[in-house]
Amino acid sequence: MSGEEEENAAELKIGEEFLKAKCLMNCEVAIILEHKWEQLQHMSDGGADQVSQVFEKSQAYVKRFSRYKNPDAVRQVRETLSRYSLVEFELCTLGNLCPDTADEAKALVPSLVPGGRFDSDDRVDKMLNDLSLIKKFE
Amino acid sequence: MVFLQEEMSWNVLISPDQLSPKGLLLRKSIIVRLLEDITNRKASNEHGYYIAVNELKTISEGKVRELTGDVLFPVTFTCITQRPMKGEILVGSVEKILKHGVFLKSGPIESIFLSEKSMSDYKYMGGENPMFMKDHSKLERDTAVRFKVMGFRWMEAERQFQLLASLAGDFLGPL
Repeated sequence: MSGEEEENAAELKIGEEFLKAKCLMNCEVAIILEHKWEQLQHMSDGGADQVSQVFEKSQAYVKRFSRYKNPDAVRQVRETLSRYSLVEFELCTLGNLCPDTADEAKALVPSLVPGGRFDSDDRVDKMLNDLSLIKKFE
Repeated sequence: MVFLQEEMSWNVLISPDQLSPKGLLLRKSIIVRLLEDITNRKASNEHGYYIAVNELKTISEGKVRELTGDVLFPVTFTCITQRPMKGEILVGSVEKILKHGVFLKSGPIESIFLSEKSMSDYKYMGGENPMFMKDHSKLERDTAVRFKVMGFRWMEAERQFQLLASLAGDFLGPL
């Protein structure tokens, strides 16, 4: 990606790092940070001092805004969304924002519309329905 | 908020008194120093916010700095990062209400401005508990808000990003 001007998540014109690196949802980061936090508490000298402000703020945020808490449910969310040929960035945005309707999903992730992956709203609805089932049985 | 797990490399500087013939202790010094370095760095324009070192992958052979006797260890590790992106839809919470707009925060990002101009029809209501209102929905302190990132810039002096937010669009606004 040459300049910031061209970057636009809505059209999936996103930095290469977002396409190459692994993207993570709020709920996945919550699990990782919880684990890291415990590790730091158990480091004998000064581990607890290593919890940075950036860490604390991010942890508070993902705790508040994770729709799924149970690690099994979190894994299922990724598995389920992976069946819909989404790129990582779209997958995480949907898993985070949990839209209720196909219109909401397409408004929040406009890149779902072109390209023929979702040629009917039924397929979007099916995906959202799969997600809400995971929440129901969490 | 979409986070990234990225592989990175870094040079960790260990002073001679921390060098230990016991491999485990040296490894620990390197980890502690790496965590300190990442905490101090906070964020960069290239990677965004450094949230947590996830896994230390390799420690290469140390190189002695002749003048100080410090040893430089090149390491590779994975790190959880967050970099703002234009056009992304984020959820944040209201930090401060002003007449001309609202300051939001979201995860590690502390400085997000939502101008009154890009709030569609929300109107400012002053008083002891100031807020913005539209019909029955209101924005007050700590309200969770879904917004769109219109743009951002890196502030080198404060080592953080400043974001400009908007509520213009369907399905945006208080949650």
